[in-house]
Amino acid sequence: MAERRLEQTGVQGMTITRTRERPAEGRGELLTVNFGPQHPSTHGVLRLVVDLDGEVIRGVRPVIGYLHTGIEKQMEALRWQQGVVVTDRHDYLSPPINNLAYALAVEKLMGIEVPPRAQALRVIMSELTRIASHLVWLGTSGLELGAMGVFMYAFRDRDKILAMNEEISGYRMHTSYIRPGGVMADATPRFLEMLEAFIRQMPSCIDEYEDLLTNNPIWIARTKGIGRLPAQDAIRLGATGPMLRGSGVNWDLRKDRPYCGYEQYDWQVAVEDGCDCYARYLVRIREMRQSVRILRQALDGLPGGPVNVDDRKLLPPPREELDTSMEAVIHHFKLFTEGYSPPAGDVYVAVESGRGENGCYIVSDGTHKPRRVKFRSASFVHLQALELMAMGHMISDFIAIIGTADTVLGDVDR
Amino acid sequence: MTPVKLPEDILDHGVIAGDEHLTVARDRIRETLETLKAQGYESYVFMTCVDHLATPVVERPPERFELVYQLRNMRTHHELRVRVFVPEDDPRVPSVHDLYGPANWDERETWDLFGIVFEGHPNLTRILMPDDWVGHPLRRDYPVGGEPVDFSEDHETWQSTPPEA
Amino acid sequence: MGVEQLAELLGDNILTTTVGKAIGWGRANSVWPFQFGLACCAIEMMHASGPTFDIARFGSEAMRASPRQADLMIVAGRVSQKMAPVLRQLYDQMPEPKWVISMGACASTGGVFNNYAILQGVDKIVPVDVYVPGCPPTPEDLLNGLMILQEKIKAQGIKPRL
Repeated sequence: MAERRLEQTGVQGMTITRTRERPAEGRGELLTVNFGPQHPSTHGVLRLVVDLDGEVIRGVRPVIGYLHTGIEKQMEALRWQQGVVVTDRHDYLSPPINNLAYALAVEKLMGIEVPPRAQALRVIMSELTRIASHLVWLGTSGLELGAMGVFMYAFRDRDKILAMNEEISGYRMHTSYIRPGGVMADATPRFLEMLEAFIRQMPSCIDEYEDLLTNNPIWIARTKGIGRLPAQDAIRLGATGPMLRGSGVNWDLRKDRPYCGYEQYDWQVAVEDGCDCYARYLVRIREMRQSVRILRQALDGLPGGPVNVDDRKLLPPPREELDTSMEAVIHHFKLFTEGYSPPAGDVYVAVESGRGENGCYIVSDGTHKPRRVKFRSASFVHLQALELMAMGHMISDFIAIIGTADTVLGDVDR
Repeated sequence: MTPVKLPEDILDHGVIAGDEHLTVARDRIRETLETLKAQGYESYVFMTCVDHLATPVVERPPERFELVYQLRNMRTHHELRVRVFVPEDDPRVPSVHDLYGPANWDERETWDLFGIVFEGHPNLTRILMPDDWVGHPLRRDYPVGGEPVDFSEDHETWQSTPPEA
Repeated sequence: MGVEQLAELLGDNILTTTVGKAIGWGRANSVWPFQFGLACCAIEMMHASGPTFDIARFGSEAMRASPRQADLMIVAGRVSQKMAPVLRQLYDQMPEPKWVISMGACASTGGVFNNYAILQGVDKIVPVDVYVPGCPPTPEDLLNGLMILQEKIKAQGIKPRL
């Protein structure tokens, strides 16, 4: 019986299943357990088929697609500027970073450089989003491993970020704030005040999370040595973001392939070489501190000037011009009936999201709708590493391992 | 340009909007990726497919389907895009899942959404769509689907097969 | 003990009502939602149960992970064609009386995703009591939807569904 099931998993599993140990003779038969798609700790609608030898995991087969939204197909049916709205919704924990990847890709294809103030505002929104994304990870991971309090602290502070999103863009989550050609609107004075207050409060809030977890013996017992992903395997399996940096590899797209002027800021890449869940926890905590540091510099050095490129073919003219200029009316009409058309070609742009490399590959055929938009998502790649991380651990540790990958199912299934 | 020694039998090599790319023949993809991997392009970023059905581009692509492999050298920070054109009537490509780990799911996804067959893949099954789904949704001749919406200016093309197909 | 004696004993301390109203009041103020997060809306649902919005004020903080312990299914997010049969099965596993809130544009109508992959409205597979608009709705919107549902439950009384 055990033999037969193993053969089945060999067929259905991934390449790394070939490294799976077979249970020793006479240790009983493998039990196959279905985990999800509705489960409180799978971070969404992830389904995992787990082979158990007693309580020890001998095989994991993720089954995805339960949140397949057809986003890439939808974008082919929408015009270039309409597509921004859809990009928000694939990785729903970091909408402005998705917008940024798409906007940078369209701008790269069209050869546009946005003004410095827009660059700085993009950095501010990206870093706020990174903190917000890590806070969801922190809150839910804590909740799953029995630390209910952390959830409350994390969501208290996340609400502040969402209030800021609402102030600057009018919406709490799906801001669509970063658009090809610049940003939606300039930052309001109230937003800058809120940001100032947030930057002052946040370090002590991160101290609070650390007080609750970093030296907590239960937290350490549940995460240290669990879900090991050695650096070599992390690179081989294409891991990025905290998954890679938690394995001691110093790779961050903000440093290594800078965009939006990240090279101007003074900050450090958070790297830990524990290769386990605890190391990835430390990486995320330190990343939040570094994000606050970048926010401080971005706010202090926020340049003046426009927040959009001065290109009537790409962005609508200001409202007051419509009353006086026929040309402005024509541009406005053309933009909202037909849109703009980047030149034929294809580009790939990657940005660093809270989960890792969030890339956007676009193909234009010179018309006003994209030929192809592909999102390279970190979660999709990280799920493939789940089996390697979980192998040989107890089923109860599996919760910590799923949590540490920080997958967003919208990002996996798109 | 690139500091790497390029494989000999490439069909095209160039730069679009700052992205370097090269095109190889379908049966040379494994050798090309092996050569590039040996030269430091160890990081596989993504692989996907583009459907060029009825493209309005003047310089028409040689075949309907185009596979795109994005590779990265983590030491020199260079990126390279490898293209392979695949004909519509014989959509077969050698699998590279053993060269690059993450290619496994990308190939399954490309099979699921475009119907490209990866020869040598251990488990080429649907990954995003339900197992009993008919058709490959990301092909250009597959309608976007959904329901008609009043006041939507072009829902005809959404609900039905596009005219170019 | 006769009725007169009983009335004398209880005096002014008695409150009369109908059984339906009492049951409706009880049900409405302890609606236990099923923890059924699908997509973006689930994050706002988590915010609603967080410290700022505190869904516990309405008696619904007990998010149940099992459908068998839940009264209310909040469909929070887009339902794909692959997820739809799973959702229906989970709904069938919930004990009566049960209610459904369709949270957000995607669950209610398909939202911006008018395409092959998404079910165009969850009301095609389960009966929906309250539709909460928004993409995603703010936690206040969800709480408002919950309050509307509470009014509905109170009005339904002893017979929640025909």
